[in-house]
Amino acid sequence: MTRSIGIFVLTALLAVGLGPHPAHPADPPRVVDGHPIDPDAELVVALADDTNNMDPRIGMGSIRSNYIRQVFESLVDVDAAGTPQPGLALSWKAINDNLWEFTLRPNVRFHDGEPFNAETVLFNLDRMFRKNLDKWGIKDVAAGTSFEKLYPMVTKWEKVNDLTVRVHTSEPVAMLWDALGREPLVPRASTIKSGVDALNERPIGTGPWRMVEWKRKDSMRFERWDGYWGPPPLVKRMRFQTVPEGAARIAALRAGQVALIEAVPPIDAAALQREPAFKVVSAAQKLGCRLYVNGRPKDKYDSGGKDGLFADPRLRLALNHAINRDAIIKKIFGGYALANASPVATVMYGYAAQEPYAFDPARAKALLAEAGWRDTNGDGVVDKGGEPLMLQLLFPAKHYGQAFDEMTAAVVEMVKDVGVGVVVKPLDFGTLLQTLTKGTLPPNGGFTACRTSNSVDAEDQVRDWASYTLVNWTPFTPELTTLYQASRREPDPAKRLRILADLQRQIRDWAPVVPLYQEIKIYAHSVRVLRFAPLPELHMDFRGVALRK
Amino acid sequence: MRAFLLRRFVHALVVVWGVVTVVFFLVRLTGDPAAFLVDPTATQAEIEHTRRLLGLDRPLAEQYGDFLLAIGRGDFGQSIQTRRPALGMVLEHLWPATAVLAASALLLSTLAAVPLGVLSATHRGGWMDHGSRLASLFLQSMPAFWLGIMLILLFAVELGGLLPAYGSGTIRHLILPAVTLAAAPLAQNVRLVRSGMLEVLGEDYVRTARAKGLAERGVIYRHALRNAALPVLTVTGLSLGFMLSGAIIIETVFSWPGLGRLIVQAVPGRDFPVIQAGVFVFAVIFAGVNFVVDVLYTVLDPRVRLA
Repeated sequence: MTRSIGIFVLTALLAVGLGPHPAHPADPPRVVDGHPIDPDAELVVALADDTNNMDPRIGMGSIRSNYIRQVFESLVDVDAAGTPQPGLALSWKAINDNLWEFTLRPNVRFHDGEPFNAETVLFNLDRMFRKNLDKWGIKDVAAGTSFEKLYPMVTKWEKVNDLTVRVHTSEPVAMLWDALGREPLVPRASTIKSGVDALNERPIGTGPWRMVEWKRKDSMRFERWDGYWGPPPLVKRMRFQTVPEGAARIAALRAGQVALIEAVPPIDAAALQREPAFKVVSAAQKLGCRLYVNGRPKDKYDSGGKDGLFADPRLRLALNHAINRDAIIKKIFGGYALANASPVATVMYGYAAQEPYAFDPARAKALLAEAGWRDTNGDGVVDKGGEPLMLQLLFPAKHYGQAFDEMTAAVVEMVKDVGVGVVVKPLDFGTLLQTLTKGTLPPNGGFTACRTSNSVDAEDQVRDWASYTLVNWTPFTPELTTLYQASRREPDPAKRLRILADLQRQIRDWAPVVPLYQEIKIYAHSVRVLRFAPLPELHMDFRGVALRK
Repeated sequence: MRAFLLRRFVHALVVVWGVVTVVFFLVRLTGDPAAFLVDPTATQAEIEHTRRLLGLDRPLAEQYGDFLLAIGRGDFGQSIQTRRPALGMVLEHLWPATAVLAASALLLSTLAAVPLGVLSATHRGGWMDHGSRLASLFLQSMPAFWLGIMLILLFAVELGGLLPAYGSGTIRHLILPAVTLAAAPLAQNVRLVRSGMLEVLGEDYVRTARAKGLAERGVIYRHALRNAALPVLTVTGLSLGFMLSGAIIIETVFSWPGLGRLIVQAVPGRDFPVIQAGVFVFAVIFAGVNFVVDVLYTVLDPRVRLA
């Protein structure tokens, strides 16, 4: 691998003029899309839940991200299409196979005036990789992502100058820009001075919004950060109001007490769309819901000496052909979901469309028969060696929402129709997690669950079957492992995309899971709200959003 | 009397200790929160690292000992989800949000129930009695979730934002959740007062009071109601516990930042410190309310005092 091939620039756009945000205008606009706007207004957004914390290190789930990313920013930003864009880094490139360089945005300040520079990035990398914490006098926190375990090949980071940071690796890591670049960055000086816990109480970021008040489980108020490096927000104040119940959110929107709501139930979207006072918008998300089945070898879980029943890919393919995804999407989600046969969400970098699993019960039965499972006693359930094929399905009821619950019930019936018996065990999500953590899923077990991502690159989702984790019950074959590792290491972007596409195709044919649907998130807002564009990300972006007078 | 109160007080202490002990072991039987904190793609090594950081790898007996000692200091540890003191979180949701809502609903359900129940009993078989019983049946049958949404649609949407659809902080915000929370207990109390009154209105001492020429108002409110109120008092004590701890549906519908939602969200997330602090506070409240009810019984019914 020569250096000339190894070096590439994924994104080297200068933010000024070319990034997602135009140059900082001298005067903010008073008219947007032909409508006079109210720059002193408060934008009230109803969200389904409050965040538990504001320290990005603790976790960046879908609820937290919405809050955290208003205040904090990361090196890599994304636009409305999910494409990587310069954030706090203007550019990033691989200098050679084992060295990455990030060029930082100049003249950026945190809300307390602290400058953002290479020292900030080094401090954050120390926190992310749990190194030098004693040196900074800060404590470790239990975190969602253990960078030191996920990316042990990252060996060193160093400052080249105030606006340049280099990261060394022991092997090529093609998506390092994404792995490190999407983590929101916290200030160095104030975190050292006030402690890590202060990040939760008084978060100080570089983002377009300053948090000014947080009433837990009630609301969070923000004010425009006038020192923002990009164009300042077009409304002065913003409030995130917690309204957990979907019907109450819609009522609050209709009453004019909030301007925008998230997580509109699909069943209500059509009705809202017909009302001229509101606009319904949606965006495909990275969240994919799947039926996971046990295909682990017996030495990789608490098996009682039995391999996972679904180790044979033909069984998993049969399940895939048993599912009528079009019907589920149309009838349960009102069209607000996608069928996606790729293990990668359609909105991620590196996604390659795959041939859908056709709804074909006859083919499903043929695959079962090919694997030796036939209905020999006419009871409607296929069997082999006198043992019926029974799927013990753990179902986290009331965790992902009503549509998910209805979908699971439909999936159970579809699977039964091809001759696979199903015993449904509803349980709370916590109990499911404990089962997966302890590895006590039965040999014939399975579960329905959803998986999302905080990353931009496909690697985050094809990684699922690379090592034994909560969601990996069908580990990669040696061939797939080799291909996956190649996708991580290939530095040439074009070649890597080809490897990723090949990997997705092979995963699709090998069918480690039964992909059920990919989420489309629905938002509704008053027509007073201008230029709101939902992201394929876990958060909403209110830069550029205005309120009509 | 003093011995009676002392006995009741000791009972209350034992109940609180028993409840927090059961909860301590019970929540740990259902697993630990490490899996909630890590990414779903975390390996066993990452989960173990998180368990160590949370101190959950220590022997259970050691954790329990520390827990009991810490309770003595009022320290329930930090919430695993928010990294804030658990007892502080529970208390800040209890007061003012939950306490104000529960007190309002309790006042509404009790104060309105007495005249309605009395009227229903004193006009037995009349239109007022039938109306009151029908209304009670209706209020008790309606799910709080549905009633809450209907009230929001009526007062916040149809009547042009007469009352807010969500939130807390002002009297206007309090009205709809308090009415919704009070609906079922109100109906129950009306029926209790009515049946209690019907029972005592036929008693000899009521007849005697009337024969002595006492005004009907005095007979009903001074003699009859005092005796009819005992079951209402018991139910009111239990209702207060329900309102403080079980108002989760109302809190969800009206986005009320109360204690119910805090605890209910802590349970699936296995946030041990918050669950333990919350249950401790509930246990203290329940035991306290029952203690007060016992004391009030002695005031209202001398037979209890003398027993």
